[in-house]
Amino acid sequence: MKPVLLIAINFVREQRWPIFVLLLWILLLTFLGLVSDIPHEREELLFLFKQVAVYAVAFSIFFGGSAIYNERKTRRILAVLSKGVDRRQYLSGLVLGVSMACGIYCFSLGITGSWTLGQAGFPMSQVWFLMLCVIAACTLAGTVALMFSTFLNPFFAAGATAAVLGIPAVLSRTTLSQWEYLMPVYLLTSEVWKSSFSSPGRIWWLPIGMAICETVLFWVLAARIFSRVDIAVAVE
Amino acid sequence: MSAVLQFENVTKEYRAFPGRRLCALRNFNLAVEQGEIFGFLGPNGAGKSTAIHLAMGFMRPTAGRGLMLGQPFGHAATRRRVGFLAENVALYHRQAEHLVRFYGALNGMGGEQLSSRARGVLDLVGLSSHTGRNVSKFSRGMLQRAGLAQALVNDPELLILDEPTSALDPLARVAVRELLLGARNAGKTIFLSSHLLSEVELVCDRVAVLHRGELVRLGRTTDLLSSAGQTQIVFRGVAASAVPGAVQQNGVGRLLISAADQRAALERVWAAGGEVVSVNPVRRSLEEMFLEVTADRPTAAPSSPAPAIS
Repeated sequence: MKPVLLIAINFVREQRWPIFVLLLWILLLTFLGLVSDIPHEREELLFLFKQVAVYAVAFSIFFGGSAIYNERKTRRILAVLSKGVDRRQYLSGLVLGVSMACGIYCFSLGITGSWTLGQAGFPMSQVWFLMLCVIAACTLAGTVALMFSTFLNPFFAAGATAAVLGIPAVLSRTTLSQWEYLMPVYLLTSEVWKSSFSSPGRIWWLPIGMAICETVLFWVLAARIFSRVDIAVAVE
Repeated sequence: MSAVLQFENVTKEYRAFPGRRLCALRNFNLAVEQGEIFGFLGPNGAGKSTAIHLAMGFMRPTAGRGLMLGQPFGHAATRRRVGFLAENVALYHRQAEHLVRFYGALNGMGGEQLSSRARGVLDLVGLSSHTGRNVSKFSRGMLQRAGLAQALVNDPELLILDEPTSALDPLARVAVRELLLGARNAGKTIFLSSHLLSEVELVCDRVAVLHRGELVRLGRTTDLLSSAGQTQIVFRGVAASAVPGAVQQNGVGRLLISAADQRAALERVWAAGGEVVSVNPVRRSLEEMFLEVTADRPTAAPSSPAPAIS
């Protein structure tokens, strides 16, 4: 467990500048929200909050899809895997790192959201539940991206992840709505997207539980693929 | 003695576009014994780094198998007992001491033992006055020393070093040489890949030369450098032309003969009235041996006998 935690913390440390910029972005939006006329512009404020929350999924794909590639390209992965670190532990560290990075983003958004939206009358508990949905969606999306990045470059890994996450969403809108349960990222982001002041949403654990199960499934798949990859070969 | 690192008929092929396969290692056999400094030589692209990466588990062999400290290549728990320095040192941008502690912690170390060990190895590689500096500010030589420190932090039984002194100045090279000799005296095994043949010649007990993915020479350094039983007789007091086969050089005569002919040659010198100054076995440099065995040669046909393995 210790190597997993070390790799995760190291990942967050390596991504500190992108995370810092994202936090500044949240702070800027909060500032703009606070100086606005909250009671009259609360719908706009909620729309902005939902939009910024859903962005986190895209960030997780970016983080997950590029993590292994960057490490292999800089060859820093060699020094890490030359230690008593199993490849599964390495992947777990990256999944945890992606989740931590997104968790920091969501935690900041949760604090600022409960501050601004709370003043507008949105239930604070629902803000935090929505953040939990976003973290679960980010963890799953990041793991899928990480799985593809074990054998694809970040560009194709991001594309493949978007396809895997997006196709069930499109199918759920065009055919059977049950398709959204296949990859619950869409279901979770829908929870965020549908919430409003008149109907803030419900505390519904099923999609979060499904996201956790699928994260484990994709982690297992990623570990099986990664165990067969020649990591010292240049990646392009 | 037991083999600490063992390759058994290891072949590694890379896939290349379009549909081609490049063979980096072909039926490679090698056994590195405990407590020796083993020099691993070869021209660029010979397959040295591939062999090292296979041993570390960064790659999987296409065929064959290997053991490191008695466990199959890639066994994570075994790597805790191994120190590795890659050819192009790539480390996270942290303060040197934090960096070494990070790598030590990945090997399961912790607490005061790790702190003191980290400081100790940084001192050992000559970075004691730079422990608080971020390695991103380091020169290439300092970075290589930091890389060496992370390889040593777990007090490894087996050290695998890929070009450890390529960026070092002569003083640092001497320090690393002493460090390697000290490690060997402490019972550690060192697998050293290097292009610096003079360094290898000075420290290595045994040497293997790889060329185009095949082992072309393996043996004790002293045996490989002795020139197949040749002896040089230096004499004076008589013109070189008086002794068949001798040449005049710097006022003395020199005669290069096989060791078996030594007695007859000495008698010829004495019979001509000459005085023998010295009789020495001829010793080649490692560079001469290296150039000889890696001279452009066709890849061995499948029916060719495999290179001798000792």
